Amino acid sequence: MSGTAISARAAELREAFDRSFAAPPRPDEGAAEDLLAIRIGGDPYAVRLSEIAGVHTDRKIVRVPGAPAALLGIAGFRGAIVPVYGTRDLLGDPGPAGRWLMLAAAAPIALSFELFEHHLRVPAGAVKPQEAGGERRFVRELVRTHSFVRPILHLAAIVAAVTPRPATASREER
Amino acid sequence: MFSNWTISRRLIAGFGLAGLTLLLIALISYRNADNLIENDGWVEHTQRVRTALADFLSQVKDGETGQRGYLITGTDEYLAPYQAALATIGATLDELRSLTSDNPRQQKRLAAIAAATDTKLAELKETIDLRRSQGFDAATKMVTTDRGKVTMDKIRALVAEADQEEADLLKQRGDEARASANSTMAIILWGGLAGSIAVGLIAWFIIATLSRQIGSAVAMVQSSSSELQTTANQQATGAKEQATATAEISTTINELLATSRQIAESAQRVAQNAEQTAGAARAGIGTVDLTHESITGIRRQVDQIVAHMLELGRKSQEIGGVLDIVLELAEQTNILAINATIEAAGAGESGKRFAVVADEIRKLADRVGGSAKQIRALIDDVRSAVNTTVMATETGSKAVDAGTRQFADVAAGFKQISGLVQTTTEAAREIELSTKQQSSAVEQVNVAIGSVAQASTEMETSVRQTLQTVSQLAALSTDLLRIIQPHMAI
Repeated sequence: MSGTAISARAAELREAFDRSFAAPPRPDEGAAEDLLAIRIGGDPYAVRLSEIAGVHTDRKIVRVPGAPAALLGIAGFRGAIVPVYGTRDLLGDPGPAGRWLMLAAAAPIALSFELFEHHLRVPAGAVKPQEAGGERRFVRELVRTHSFVRPILHLAAIVAAVTPRPATASREER
Repeated sequence: MFSNWTISRRLIAGFGLAGLTLLLIALISYRNADNLIENDGWVEHTQRVRTALADFLSQVKDGETGQRGYLITGTDEYLAPYQAALATIGATLDELRSLTSDNPRQQKRLAAIAAATDTKLAELKETIDLRRSQGFDAATKMVTTDRGKVTMDKIRALVAEADQEEADLLKQRGDEARASANSTMAIILWGGLAGSIAVGLIAWFIIATLSRQIGSAVAMVQSSSSELQTTANQQATGAKEQATATAEISTTINELLATSRQIAESAQRVAQNAEQTAGAARAGIGTVDLTHESITGIRRQVDQIVAHMLELGRKSQEIGGVLDIVLELAEQTNILAINATIEAAGAGESGKRFAVVADEIRKLADRVGGSAKQIRALIDDVRSAVNTTVMATETGSKAVDAGTRQFADVAAGFKQISGLVQTTTEAAREIELSTKQQSSAVEQVNVAIGSVAQASTEMETSVRQTLQTVSQLAALSTDLLRIIQPHMAI
């Protein structure tokens, strides 16, 4: 790409940015799903934006003595101390933790992942339930994109899995 | 003793012996003949002495006869005998003296005879004078004294003695002559017989020995002729083969000469090519020097390119650093947009417009991130290209260094080539010169070979002549053997 092409690219970006503010508010595009495309252990996944309270990077994680392997430590978010879990460990594929963190909406829990790819807005019809026989842990649905099919992590299930439950429930689970 | 004698010596000895015999006989015969002739001379001499004595006595008698006639007649005419005697008697006496000069006894007698004659002549003159002066009687008286008679008798006696002496001498010389004649006859007879026998013996001896020796020699000549004939045949064959071989050698030498000339021409062309090559090598050295300067310039350019490329890499790295900041900003913007979207969703209906803005910001951040990643990829490509270029340039620089060294080697090689080509030129010229000398030598050899061929041909002809001569010699020896020993002739 030559310098002229780079300049054209910059002009295009600038024009798109200006146009976004100049355009009138768009009508509701109907039912659409906002997802984040991420990578865990090199595998593509998707996460519903509605299940996330925020995305952060490079937070200092303080390890907790005696913690389970999946609990990477604790980190501070806007004055709150939140436990950080390794999603990879939770998915049963142990490995080094990623620099990306997402805060679950359901509970004050942060999950680390390796790579944030991009924002994904798909029509509601693109999300399909996972077929029988292809079950993965914490995955119940799949989203079809241009190139391939991404499993959608069910953060509520992950939160439920890592959140301590009442005693009765624990006993029932046992 | 005689076996070692040569034929000439034998012939000389034989004929010499025969000749000596004949010469001896001839000498003896000559001497005897000479004796005979001398004897005959002496006999004649004696006869002349006796004749002279008779004449002398006759003249004395004539004087006495004339005296008596005059005395008787007194006529002077009767004195003619006396006068004649007076005129001749002295001469006769002188003749006798001369004839008997070698005989002292006769000389002595003649002296006595002369004295008596003088006496007689004086008596005659005296009586004649008396007759003339005194007449007959006085003269007769004088005569009767017998003085004249005595003197006359004495003269007669002396003359008789002298004649007897001469008669004795005559007899002695006749005996000697007969003895000499007999001796001569005997010598001629026996000497001739002995000489004939000696000559016959010598001839037989010479013939026998010569026949034997010449026969053996002729046999040897025949054998040698046969061998010589064989040898001459072999020589003729050899000469013919030599002539053929010489012709082949001449042909080969002609081919060699042509080859030498071709080599000389080739050497000349090689020398010319070597000179052209030397010129090309010198031009090549100049070109190599120019190329060396160009390579040095290229090396400087390459060094500058390396420096520029390294600078470009460094700038690219700096751009990469700036781009990392851009990427990080885009990422953070994206995060903020996402979080804003989340927060807007939580704000309910009032947050929808904010959500739109946040979404646009997120999209922009996405695009910026994508563009930054593309630029990052481009920068990486540029850095990779710069690294590759630097490496390639360094490789090129090393190649230029190697090329420089190789060009130095090439230049040295060109100089060495130039030197070698110079050596080659000199060598080619020497080869050309040597080949020309060789050609000249080969031409001389060719001429010599031609002479040898001619000599071979002449030798062949000569050998043929020799063969012919040997055949003639063999025939001659056979003829000779037939002549000297018919029973041995083949």
